[in-house]
Amino acid sequence: MDRTPDGHVISLDIPSSMQLVYVLDSVISQILKEMGFDDESREQVNLAVIEAGTNAIKHGNKEDVNKRARFEFILNQDKLTVVVQDGGAGFDRNSVENPLNPENLLKSSGRGIFLMETCMDAVTYEAPGTTVRMVKYKKSPSNKQK
Amino acid sequence: MEIVVRRRDDVTILDVAGRIAGSDSLDLKRAIDAQIEIAAGNIAKIVLNLERVRIVDSFGLGVIVAAYTSIQRNGGRIALLNVGGNIKNLIVMAKLMTIFDRYDNEDEAVASFQ
Repeated sequence: MDRTPDGHVISLDIPSSMQLVYVLDSVISQILKEMGFDDESREQVNLAVIEAGTNAIKHGNKEDVNKRARFEFILNQDKLTVVVQDGGAGFDRNSVENPLNPENLLKSSGRGIFLMETCMDAVTYEAPGTTVRMVKYKKSPSNKQK
Repeated sequence: MEIVVRRRDDVTILDVAGRIAGSDSLDLKRAIDAQIEIAAGNIAKIVLNLERVRIVDSFGLGVIVAAYTSIQRNGGRIALLNVGGNIKNLIVMAKLMTIFDRYDNEDEAVASFQ
């Protein structure tokens, strides 16, 4: 059953503690369930949101609990848009190495951005790199905006 | 996250439940490090049972990759048991399918160390 009200926005504002990542997991899981995404898409979006949240909290706000990580979930009939914002200095997407390069495969970090971009249909970074906007469509791959 | 550590012969099995994500991943790191330390001087043989793990993020995957390289460096080996859903997809996306030894059966996982 599709109970998604079109255009509704859910906002979440959390202190920058890695111990609060579970909140994201809980919130996004429930939103995806209510929106009627299939299991595979739910897993992908869940992972992408956790990755974006981790980036905002850990790399953006340097786990400073006095800084907030802000999340907006924009619910539409055909898609979910997630906007994540931190209070850090931003980053340059082009400076992030490809974790699939052979020399990076066994590194213990550096996969977050890659996973976000792989799991979502569209990911854009707004200058100066403190805001990321991610979109996942409910329809078939033909509707993808990549 | 819940981690139960048990032994079968000289193989250590870590039954993990919950999510290997965010700061929770550090619990797994500590548990694996402890087993590497216990095995000091001997070869660490570890099976990571992921049957009851709901989600792994890049941080959690990084902990598992770091454990793999650390154990490998010391002549030991880590095998993954019951890798399903999200975790399997994650490993595929990260192109680590050929790196990790994966099993769907505990007996086979344990026997692989003999």
